[in-house]
Amino acid sequence: MELLLQTIINGILAAGIYALVASGLALAVGVVGIVNFAHGEFTMIGAFIAYLLFVSTGLDPFLSLGLAALVLFMVGAITYLGLIRPVLAAPELNQMLLTFGLSVALQNIALLVFGADTRVVSTSYQGATLALGGLSFGVPPLLAFALSVVILGALYGFLDRTRLGLAVRAVAQNRLAPGLLGIETQRVYLLAFGLSAALAGVAGVMLSVMLYASPTVGFAYTLKAFAIIVMAGLGNLRGVVPAAITLAMAEALVSTYVPGGGGWVEAVFFLVIFVTLTWRSWRAA
Amino acid sequence: MKKVWMVLLAVLGLAGLALAQTTVRVGVLLPISTVAGKAALNGVQLGVDQVNAGGKVKIELVVVDDGNAPATAVPALTKLMTVDRVDIVIGGLASGVTFALSGPVKQYQPLFLCIGAASSVVEQAFSDYGRFFHYHPWDYHNVAAALEFFKYLYDQGARRVAILYEDGPFGSAGIQTYRQQLERQGYTVQAEPFKSGSGNFTAILTRFKGFRPDILYWIGYDVDALPIAAQTRQVGLEPKLIYGAPPAWPTGFEKNNLSNDVAGMTAWLPSVANNESRRFVNLYRRKFGEVTDEYMAPMGYVIALSLGKALEAAGSTDKDRIAAELAKVQMETPFGPLSFKPSDTGRTRFQGFNQNIWLQFQYLEGSRRPVFPASRAARPLRFPGNY
Repeated sequence: MELLLQTIINGILAAGIYALVASGLALAVGVVGIVNFAHGEFTMIGAFIAYLLFVSTGLDPFLSLGLAALVLFMVGAITYLGLIRPVLAAPELNQMLLTFGLSVALQNIALLVFGADTRVVSTSYQGATLALGGLSFGVPPLLAFALSVVILGALYGFLDRTRLGLAVRAVAQNRLAPGLLGIETQRVYLLAFGLSAALAGVAGVMLSVMLYASPTVGFAYTLKAFAIIVMAGLGNLRGVVPAAITLAMAEALVSTYVPGGGGWVEAVFFLVIFVTLTWRSWRAA
Repeated sequence: MKKVWMVLLAVLGLAGLALAQTTVRVGVLLPISTVAGKAALNGVQLGVDQVNAGGKVKIELVVVDDGNAPATAVPALTKLMTVDRVDIVIGGLASGVTFALSGPVKQYQPLFLCIGAASSVVEQAFSDYGRFFHYHPWDYHNVAAALEFFKYLYDQGARRVAILYEDGPFGSAGIQTYRQQLERQGYTVQAEPFKSGSGNFTAILTRFKGFRPDILYWIGYDVDALPIAAQTRQVGLEPKLIYGAPPAWPTGFEKNNLSNDVAGMTAWLPSVANNESRRFVNLYRRKFGEVTDEYMAPMGYVIALSLGKALEAAGSTDKDRIAAELAKVQMETPFGPLSFKPSDTGRTRFQGFNQNIWLQFQYLEGSRRPVFPASRAARPLRFPGNY
């Protein structure tokens, strides 16, 4: 029973960062209508910002969250204005090739600048644990989970309770009607893509503490984020958190209870995409 | 008139010396964007400086990046052979890349001085190639050295080993052999695969808690080092030793408190006390302004020096004459003595080092210290370690 409870805790804690990465991707897909393959590279930039600040000033990575979010918002805005906006009316395949190209370019720039090596930061709490009965809560994943809850809460609050947020949701639901009502869709797109990148950057900062900074750090999380937004329904922001919890829980259960499950974990998200899409097409038929 | 003759003689003498000096272009094919690849290149350049300073032979390097990927390495080798027209190539750091190079190498027939590539799959791939000089020990040498250490740990009271191995070719290729060998030594073994780079080990480590391992032995990559060290503590596993076997450790890991008491295996550390090692450290510091922990640096240095000796003895740029002289080279190196013999399996003809160069180290307060074997230890192993 203790093992099961610990597994559930492990799954829930992992879900926080999954949801953070996936929410950013869902914003790009749902509001702007762009499948952003470079989302993982935005995460990587966040991780390197935290790492560089730590190495140069000794700043705790969690204290660089705000700066990373701001820098990534600007990176996202510039990307939108320079690359995404010109192809908004282009066929989807062109858009995807563009973001895929951006992903490869950013990764290779990082390789040229930082090399392929894995870089780690050093904080006093990386190995810290909170014990509750026989259960243990790692402090970094707990912090990342709590921060993810706060940030996603703020995001949902913004989307639900502000005029601008409502405009974002309106554009996500219908691309033409909000324009007829006087909503500047281009500004909404700019905001949504900037926010999407900022969320990725924040997730990157957390990954720099829990894992490492490297040119490929965002890749695995982007794949999982794709599985989550597919499960949630493309563009469905509300569905991201439950989908993230489902995926993280499935991974934790497979890893704990399936013999040799550690090697199967990465296959879980493929299974999730496969089952979700198949089930949806059966239901629609 | 006498002065004119003297000047003329001096000029002719210098010209003669220049003509007598054997000059050879050597291709260097390394993943220079990685720490290990950069260190290897630095070592090669340092060795070449030494050789060229001797004045008898001159080596010119043509350096290309193998990108640590077969898709980059194969065209890079083709360029070295067809555009730069080198006859000698120093390279082959990663096993996967070197395996992919085996076909093109056999096609272009260079003298191939292999710096890394421990996998015996590579040994098999080059088994019918006579111009292949492999300096680095093979994977079965690595296993032998690690098992020697585990034998020592058994004598210290360790009985249970939990093995975390990445499920790619690097981690899973020898896992059954490892398991059998450890069980033969008297250990109880529990082994679990993981996906390298996933960063999530809590589930497996939680499961290991029931097994109460004395040693947590992980075979993976640098990306896994910190998550394993951190999550081992987070789940309260408390092994007596965390022993890692990645090809390279992450940058900055030594400065992280979580690295304290983590042990691993390397072929060389700057604190190794032999004359050649001290000489290498001094030269390296003078040229690059720092000291490296990467054993690929002295490995590159040794390759360049041994090539210089062979060139000098051959007095020719003919690759077969150079190969024949290289096969006879005997020299002291930062790793200990070097000479070439057939590999233990007999598959390749020119094998440089074996398991004797490996040493076990332990991270302590920001640096790696040799702890085993006793003859090369700078301090005793901390066992049990404090995790």
